[in-house]
Amino acid sequence: FFLNGLFFFTGLILLFYLVFYGFLAALFTFTMWVMLQTLSSDIPKYRDRISSPGLMISPKPDTALEFYFNKSDAQSYAEYVSTLRKFLESYDDSKQSQNINCTPGRIFDQNDVAVKKACRFNLSELGQCSGKEDKTFGYSKGTPCVLVKMNRIIGLKPEGEPRIQCTSKEEGMVEVNYFPPEGLIDLMYFPYYGKSLHAHYLQPLVAVQLAINSNSTKEEIAIECKILGSPNLKNEDERDKFLGRIAFKVQMTE
Amino acid sequence: LLQKKSNVYSVEIYGTKDLEKTETGDEEEKYKDLKGNNKKKKAEDLKKELDLEDHKLSTSELEEKYGTSTNKGLSSARAAEILARDGPNSLTPPKATPEIIKFLKQMVGGFSILLWIGAVFSWISFGIQLAQGSESPFDNLYLGVVLALVVILTGIFAYYQEAKSTNIMASFSKMIPQQALVIRDAEKKELSADQLVVGDIVEIKGGDRIPADIRLIFAQGCKVDNSSLTGESEPQSRSCDFTHENPLETRNIAFYSTTCVEGTATGIVINTGDRTVIGRIASLASGVGNEKTPIAIEIEHFVYLVAGVAISIGVLFFIISVSMQNKILDSIIFLIGIIVANVPEGLLATVTVSLSLTAKRMAKKNCLVKNLEAVETLGSTSIICSDKTGTLTQNRMTVAHLWFDNQIYSADTSEDQTTQPFDQSSPSWTALSKIVTLCNRAEFSPGQENLPIMKRVVVGDASETALLKFAEVILGDVMNIRARNKKVAEIPFNSTNKFQLSIHETDDPKDKRFLLVMKGAPERILERCSTIMINGKEEPLDSEKAEAFQTAYMELGGMGERVLGFCHLYLPENEFPDTYPFDTDSMNFPTSNLCFVGLLSMIDPPRSTVPDAVSKCRSAGIKVIMVTGDHPITAKAIAKSVGIISATSETVEDIAKRLNIPVEQVNRREATAAVVNGMELKDMSLQQLDEILCNHSEIVFARTSPQQKLIIVEGCQRQGAVVAVTGDGVNDSPALKKADIGIAMGIAGSDAAKNAADMVLLDDNFASIVTGVEEGRLIFDNLKKTIAYTLTKNIAELCPFLIYIIASIPMPIGTITILFIDLGTDIIPSVALAYEKAESDIMNRRPRNKRKDRLVNQQLAVYSYLQIGIMQSVGAFVTYFTVYAEQGFLPSTLLGVRVDWENNAINDFEDSYGQQWTKYQRMYLQWTGYTAFFVSITIQQVADLIIRKTRRNSIFQQGLFRNKVIWVGIFSQIGIALILTYGLGHVTALNFTPLRFQYWFVAVPFAILIWVYDEVRKLFIRRYPGSWWDKNMYY
Repeated sequence: FFLNGLFFFTGLILLFYLVFYGFLAALFTFTMWVMLQTLSSDIPKYRDRISSPGLMISPKPDTALEFYFNKSDAQSYAEYVSTLRKFLESYDDSKQSQNINCTPGRIFDQNDVAVKKACRFNLSELGQCSGKEDKTFGYSKGTPCVLVKMNRIIGLKPEGEPRIQCTSKEEGMVEVNYFPPEGLIDLMYFPYYGKSLHAHYLQPLVAVQLAINSNSTKEEIAIECKILGSPNLKNEDERDKFLGRIAFKVQMTE
Repeated sequence: LLQKKSNVYSVEIYGTKDLEKTETGDEEEKYKDLKGNNKKKKAEDLKKELDLEDHKLSTSELEEKYGTSTNKGLSSARAAEILARDGPNSLTPPKATPEIIKFLKQMVGGFSILLWIGAVFSWISFGIQLAQGSESPFDNLYLGVVLALVVILTGIFAYYQEAKSTNIMASFSKMIPQQALVIRDAEKKELSADQLVVGDIVEIKGGDRIPADIRLIFAQGCKVDNSSLTGESEPQSRSCDFTHENPLETRNIAFYSTTCVEGTATGIVINTGDRTVIGRIASLASGVGNEKTPIAIEIEHFVYLVAGVAISIGVLFFIISVSMQNKILDSIIFLIGIIVANVPEGLLATVTVSLSLTAKRMAKKNCLVKNLEAVETLGSTSIICSDKTGTLTQNRMTVAHLWFDNQIYSADTSEDQTTQPFDQSSPSWTALSKIVTLCNRAEFSPGQENLPIMKRVVVGDASETALLKFAEVILGDVMNIRARNKKVAEIPFNSTNKFQLSIHETDDPKDKRFLLVMKGAPERILERCSTIMINGKEEPLDSEKAEAFQTAYMELGGMGERVLGFCHLYLPENEFPDTYPFDTDSMNFPTSNLCFVGLLSMIDPPRSTVPDAVSKCRSAGIKVIMVTGDHPITAKAIAKSVGIISATSETVEDIAKRLNIPVEQVNRREATAAVVNGMELKDMSLQQLDEILCNHSEIVFARTSPQQKLIIVEGCQRQGAVVAVTGDGVNDSPALKKADIGIAMGIAGSDAAKNAADMVLLDDNFASIVTGVEEGRLIFDNLKKTIAYTLTKNIAELCPFLIYIIASIPMPIGTITILFIDLGTDIIPSVALAYEKAESDIMNRRPRNKRKDRLVNQQLAVYSYLQIGIMQSVGAFVTYFTVYAEQGFLPSTLLGVRVDWENNAINDFEDSYGQQWTKYQRMYLQWTGYTAFFVSITIQQVADLIIRKTRRNSIFQQGLFRNKVIWVGIFSQIGIALILTYGLGHVTALNFTPLRFQYWFVAVPFAILIWVYDEVRKLFIRRYPGSWWDKNMYY
């Protein structure tokens, strides 16, 4: 009968619901508008749900975090390379003309400044992983580069000397090189002031070059990268496997 | 007349020979109706088997037939053999549904099927995910387990509730083991009655219940009360003589379950257990189909409705989801969510609790409900067929009127009388009271001095008891008065004399005369009088005074009262000195030329609460039909005095009398009332009966047998009425079963009647039925409120799924969270609505039309789903968006993010401010969203609960604080929400997180809006009754 009832809707009822839902829609819009008015466009009201940043890598394979490639088959790693290239585009010097050179090793506090400046991140710091010398980011040589980055969180000021360290469970299969050296993340890139205030902000990157032992090819190598050296950046959360750490697998064939 | 009447009874019960010729077709049809075609054969058998020959046989023939001896009885060994062959002498109780079937019914009934489907889908998707090696397949396993648990637990709960109410009845059906005095092995033995076998010789005495069908071989002054069999309330005498062809009419057979009122008798058991006459009738009753109760039909209708909505929305969105290129697996999970959101899991349990609360309340008011659903049936009752004796009346003779000094006085007939208000100053009254006191053999049983007079137990017949109590009330200690007026001679009442006489010394020491007092049938008493006492003086009884007597006698008789005449004579001292030897055999004293003193009339008066109850029924649109075995005049008088026939209405006969025309010429439609005699009823066709039921609003069926009740009930049901029937005898059980609600008498009722009934009236009082009706109507209204309350939030639970699929936002509410609302926060409030008081007019409206007035009607569904439900959804979504926005995800960012949002590999999901979130951080935020959504629904459900208190009146008319349980509900609701949010906020499996305090208040304006809107709705409904608004908005 419920459906019958729907068929029997008279014009008056239609009008009633038009007005009723119109009113509700207006009310919804109005309350949402009021709510949005209370928000700042610069920083979110609360940041307690992301007190500590997660780690992420680039390139990020489509399937879970597993890299499979053949170092002699360019097609097999073409996607990784193009992803990296695309990712590094914004770090190109031409795009960083407005960015300033900041004092390394110090938190770059700009609270009092209306226009927040972004610190320059020189691609050269990524050394062999900058894509400048080796256009294949080492994939063709069996020394694939993976960029590790820390999630942006507004106002986050890391303490100590944060650095990325990657380890493999299987010892001796892989040798890890870091760019910048020791995987250091410079404090001058913090804090982040948000998309609208800090438009040109570039998050610091750490390139991890995996020199895979020649007799370890065809084997799946599990690698875990963690952020270390900073007491306020968590890396051992039970439930969140990406909080201050990331695990991925690499399998290279020849 | 008696003979004829008895024929009627036998016809009705057994369909015996004389009927077969004339009304076979009709009778068969009735049975068909009763039992279906396959049972017809059984009915035929019943008739055949009743050709009992035992009453025609001589004692020796009987001894031979049953292999017994009247002196020695059976041998124990033989008896054991027969017992093994025939089974115990007890009625087989009606077949109960096996417990396991009852339990399984609960497991698959109602919404359970839907939830099972949800559980199975969950497990299927768990299996698929497991096979695919997905990361968190166990969520679906758990969900399936939770759904299954919900079904099982609610099933167990409903089963337990049902069993609990059945258990109340079980205590009732337990019979006290009855003993019988049997001669076996030439010895008298006391045996449990169920050990009796055919051929046993049993002895019975006054007060015993007849333990089996027995053929009497010896009887002395034996009388039996066959009322449970024939409805005839006068005790019938029993002897060893074969007096009638029909086994039911002959005096030498006594029937199982009837009682021996007085005398002693010995007989041979000729039938035991189910083969007894009563046993066969009882088995007839079990053949009458049990129809679905109105509330069961309503709930079924409601379940179909909700299930229909759930399935159609589910399938619709499943298709939408699939066509939006979602994975089939995901779509199945959406489908489960939609089903869970749509099904009010806790509602059926709530309904059961509400019904059992009402059942408890009714039990306090002396209505014991056997079947929970019957609670509401009483509320939708439109016709009550009530017994007279004991139900409408007090079931005891009471002096109602007196006539002396040429004047009629009325006496108080109420239950708790302590004085009598009529003028007692006349010396005639003094004389009359003396006769009443002395010419009476009834006595109070000893040891009752502290009881009110009306409650004391008396040894004696009904009339004498009435007179004794009447005298005791007015004069005080009757026994003392009798002791002071020593009885010297007495002739007890007998049917040839039709008078009772006794001779006493007087208590005046100076007066040495003897006082002769006499009472009896008024015309017989008057015959013996030559004078009449007027104002204490004896005056000659001339024709004028005889005329006055006649008028008074007619008037009292016309009121359906039993009239007794009283006269006395002071015996002259010189003729009857102290030592005079009175001899009652030779009657050596005058028994004529006495002095007539007065008349007393007695009636079984209506219970004092009944007239009020009847008028309540009338204003509640319930037709009260009296069905009695009593005489039409008495029946009509009682009907008039309780208002079943109102003061102004007339029967066809009344009109004929008033207009002085023959009955046939009266326009039958002019008569609102009708008194139908059982004999007329017997000759009526179904159409004629329907006509009577249709055309007359006030009907009394007199001289009916309990069996005719069944015909009357069926007639009423043909009119589309919901019929309540009261009954006490075994023979009432078919009618009790057939009725929509059978009401058995708790005090006078037989076990068979209680078994067949849906309800037991503990105090046998008609007025209790009316309170039951009130409770039944109230619970119907309150269930409406409960359902409306429960359905509303289903929309607020459903919308998230729909928006989630369509707008691809992060999931606003989880399936588990929904279960916590349905089975957690909402349960106590929805039960609390069962405690809501009526909205003023409950007994002033007509009974609901079971075809039109549905429990869940279109208005209720539409108002709950499309109006309040949508408002709640809006309020909850505002909270949801607020939580996300304040954490960094503005509404614009949320649209269309679902796939990425739920991607486990994406751990740098960017929010509106450029921050990046890991999957777990997003999930945690999503759970916060669940919690916020949950809290908003809870807060708005508080408003929903308050508005559901009334459907028409303003909350302020109803009183916000009158129903305290509502507040218990509100506090429990908020309390449970607080515990879930802050107490269990860290148990990840439950998907609750601690919530910022301010989010509790985001939905408050919407809650207030709901309240205000509903007040406006009710205001318009009250202001503009019958308007478009009223029609569409009143549920």
